[in-house]
Amino acid sequence: MIPLLLRIRIGRKSHRGVSLWLPLFLFWLIALPFLIALLPLVLIAALILWPSGKGKPILCAYLMIFRLIGCLSGLKIDIRSVDNTIYINLI
Amino acid sequence: MNEERKTILEMLAEGKINTEEAERLLSALSKETETGSDVTKIKSGYKYLRVVVEPGPESENSERVNIRVPLKLIRAGLKLASFIPKDAQVKVNEALHEKGIDTDFSKIKPEDLEDLLGQLNDLTVDVEGKEKIKVFCE
Repeated sequence: MIPLLLRIRIGRKSHRGVSLWLPLFLFWLIALPFLIALLPLVLIAALILWPSGKGKPILCAYLMIFRLIGCLSGLKIDIRSVDNTIYINLI
Repeated sequence: MNEERKTILEMLAEGKINTEEAERLLSALSKETETGSDVTKIKSGYKYLRVVVEPGPESENSERVNIRVPLKLIRAGLKLASFIPKDAQVKVNEALHEKGIDTDFSKIKPEDLEDLLGQLNDLTVDVEGKEKIKVFCE
């Protein structure tokens, strides 16, 4: 499932930082038409480069982008030191 | 009774193999079945790879790292890495080599990853009492 929310917190020693909840589904609404619009260009590039053997990797890589986006949900990075705090969670 | 077991017993009944050979074949078969069920458990049970770094008792800094990566993402990433052109892969490997990492990630297949994760299960590395690194699947 694609991540719908992004929780992010970046803080410094003096300031712990504010936890932000970003609605990723709004970003996907913009990015998805863009990615689909890119498809004809990818197909043309793949067809041109097919004889050189680079066409198939281009086409597969394009499809893999969708798979990668779908696998991002559940990714969590939490790093805390005395000076900094970085927290990223894709829900 | 599965087919392989049945074949071994039939071979024993026909006198093609003796009892010792039949026993050896049956034990090898049962070991194979156990290993197969372990792999299935790994494939179906775990969803995330966790890396936890905690300060040890002798540590001066209090840096904590807690990373959870979906296994699906690692698999997809490995698959994507195999589509990188060879000349770019050489550059990536050179950059990794400069950082002291002598691994060619394009050669790691999803099946190898399953094996690796199966062996990894619950790895704890204690770095001279300064840091405790735990790598496990959940």
